[in-house]
Amino acid sequence: MNKTRKIEMTVELIRILVAVGIAYVIALVTLFLISDDPVYIIQQFVLGPFSSVRRVGSIINLAIPFTFTGLCFCFMYAVNKFNLAGEGIFMFSGCMVTWVAINLGEGLPFPIMLLILLIVGAVTGIVIIAIPAFLDAKFKANIVVVSLMLNSILVFLSIWVLKYQMRDPSIGSMGSYPLPDNAVLPNVFGKFRIQAGLFIAVIAVIAVAVLFYKMVFGYKMRVVGSNPLFAKACGINMMGTIVAAQLIGGALAGIGGTCEILGNYDRFKWVASTQHGFDGLMVAVLARRNPLLVPVAALLLAYIRIGADVVNSKGDIPIEFITVIQGIVILLVAAEEFMGRFKKKMIYKAAAEGLAADKKEEVEELMADTKDEGKEQ
Amino acid sequence: MFTLDWFANFGFSTLRLSTPLIFAALAAVINRKAGMLNMALEGMMLSAALGGVVFAGATGNVWIGLLGAVVVSVIVGWIIAFANLSGQTDLYLTCIAVNLAATGGTVFAMFLITGEKATTSAAIKAYVLPSITIPLINKIPLIGPMISGHNVLTYFAFISVFLVWFFLYKTRLGLRMRAVGENPKAASSVGINVKKIGYISFLYAGVLCGFGGAFMSMGWVSFFMKNMVNGRGYIGLSAMNIAEGNPVGSAIAAVFFGFSDALATTLKSQGGNFPTEFLDMIPYAATIIALVVISSIRMSHLKKIQRGGK
Repeated sequence: MNKTRKIEMTVELIRILVAVGIAYVIALVTLFLISDDPVYIIQQFVLGPFSSVRRVGSIINLAIPFTFTGLCFCFMYAVNKFNLAGEGIFMFSGCMVTWVAINLGEGLPFPIMLLILLIVGAVTGIVIIAIPAFLDAKFKANIVVVSLMLNSILVFLSIWVLKYQMRDPSIGSMGSYPLPDNAVLPNVFGKFRIQAGLFIAVIAVIAVAVLFYKMVFGYKMRVVGSNPLFAKACGINMMGTIVAAQLIGGALAGIGGTCEILGNYDRFKWVASTQHGFDGLMVAVLARRNPLLVPVAALLLAYIRIGADVVNSKGDIPIEFITVIQGIVILLVAAEEFMGRFKKKMIYKAAAEGLAADKKEEVEELMADTKDEGKEQ
Repeated sequence: MFTLDWFANFGFSTLRLSTPLIFAALAAVINRKAGMLNMALEGMMLSAALGGVVFAGATGNVWIGLLGAVVVSVIVGWIIAFANLSGQTDLYLTCIAVNLAATGGTVFAMFLITGEKATTSAAIKAYVLPSITIPLINKIPLIGPMISGHNVLTYFAFISVFLVWFFLYKTRLGLRMRAVGENPKAASSVGINVKKIGYISFLYAGVLCGFGGAFMSMGWVSFFMKNMVNGRGYIGLSAMNIAEGNPVGSAIAAVFFGFSDALATTLKSQGGNFPTEFLDMIPYAATIIALVVISSIRMSHLKKIQRGGK
C-alpha cells in the first residue's frame, strides 16, 4: 500500500470518528438543554444501554436488521445508485414471509421451513428492487423518486395483505395470525436473548465481503461505481453489473426483514414503514461502503438507538431526536471538505518527506557511484 | 353520483390538492435550472408546515405564520446549499439526510413546543389562511364552485407559475441561472459566480417550499401532523422531471398528480367494498407510471435522433 492511500484511509477513519463524536456531543448538548434532570438523563443515554444483560442483548438484536439493510445499501452505494426500495422491502418481505409461514403451517421441520422462508424473503426483495433498478436502467426514470414511491405503495400493500389475508380477528389490535412454532427463530446465548438471525447476519457479512473484495464481480462493481467511464472503456457490462448489484442488495434487505419477523415477533403487526431502510443507508455511509465495517456501524447506531430508547422511557424525551443526529452524521461523513484541508496537508507533507527522502537516496547513490568510479580509476 | 355538484366538488378538490404539488414542482424547477436535483423538497415543506403553525400560534397572526414557514424552509434550503456547495457533499445524500432529519426533527420540535407527538391540533390555536371568493365567477354553474372560494395560496400557486417562468426566461438572473445549469464551467468562465447562483436557487426554492408547507398546515388542514407532507415533495419533483424543468409543463404535471390524489380521496369517501389501501396507492402509482411513460418516450425520441444522425 502506498503512502498516500494509507494517509487517506487514516484520515477517513479519523473523519468518521470525529463526525460521530460531533453528532454525539450535539445529542448530549440537546439532552442537557431540554431535560429537567440533565445529569441523570445523560448518564442514562450513555451508560443505560449497558446497564443490563438484556439491554446489551437488545443492542445486538437491533444491530442485526441494521446490518442487513446496511449491506443492502453497500451495494447501492457501490454502484452509485440511490435505490431506496430497501426500506419498503424490509416491511413487505416480513409480510410475505409471515403469509407463507401461516399458510404452510406446522407440517415442515424447522430447517426446511427456515430455508423456504429465507428464500421467500430474498425473492420478494429481488422482485421488488428489480422494479426501480430496471426502470432506471431501461428508461432512465429517476431511481430515487421511483423507489420512494414504491416504498409508499409497499406499505399500503403490506397493510392490505395483513388486513384481508391474514388478520387474526381474535386479537384487539391489528395483527396477523401467530407464526407457527417451526418458523420462529430461537433466542440464543441465554440471558442475552439474541435472535438466531445473528448467525445469518454474520454469514451474510462474510459472503458480501468475499463478493466485494475477492471476486471478479465485486471488482467490476466497484469500478463501475467509482469510475464509470473507465469501466465502459474496459468493456465491463455496465447495465448488467449495476442491475445485478441492486438485485443482490434487495435480496439482503428481504432476508433482513425475514430475520426480523421470525426472530423478534410472534406475529406480523407492522402498519407503518419501519425506517430500517434509511437506518441502513446511514450504516452504509458510516461504513464507507465497506461490508466488513457494516456490523461495527450497525452496532454503533444500535447503541445510540437503545440509549435514546432508554431516555425515552425514563425521561420522556422523544426518540425522534436521534434521526436529527443521524442526519448530521450523514452530512458530516459525506462532506468531502470536512477535514479535507487536513487530509491535503497530510498528503502534501508525506509527499514532501517522500521527495526529500528520494533526493537523499539519489544523492547517496550518486556519492556511492562516484566513489566506485574513483576506486576503479 | 355523477351530478354537476359532484364534478364541481371534484374539480375543486383537484385544484386544492394540486397546490402543494405545484409549489414543490416550481421549487424543483428553479433548482433544476441551476443544475441541481433537489430531493429535499419533502423535508423543506415539512419543516415549513410546522414553522407556519408555530409562528402563527405564537404571534396570533396568520401572515406572520406564513412568513415563519418561508423563513424555516429557506433555512433548511440554506443548509443543503451550504453542505452541497461549500462542503462538497453528494447532493443526493445531503437531501436524503435532510429529509431524514426533518421527519424526526419536526416531531421532536413539536414535542418540545407542545408536548404532543402526533399533531399540534390540541395545543396550538388553529389559524387558516383566508379563502377568496371571486365575485361574478362564483355565480357561474360548475366552474364557479370549482374555481372560486379557494385558499389564497392556491391562487398564488398558479400566479407563481407565471412568476417563475418570468424569472427564468425574462430576467438577467434567470438567464444566468440557466447558463449555470447548462454548463457551470462555461458560465464561470464568463464571470458568473456559480456558487452564488446555487445559493440563490436554493433561496427561491426555499420560499416556494415555504408556501407549499404553509398551505399544508394552514390551508389544507389547520394543524401540523406528523409526516403530513407524505411524499408530496417527491411527487412535485417528478412533476418537474416529467416536464424536464419547464415551469408551465411542470405545473400541468402537478395538476395531473393533484387529480390522481383527488381521485383517491373522492373514491375513498364514497365507500364501497373496494379496499382503501389500493386507492391510497393511486397517487404514488400514477407518479411512477407517468415518470416511466415520459422517460420512455424521451428515450425513444433520443434513439431516433441518434439513428437519424448516422
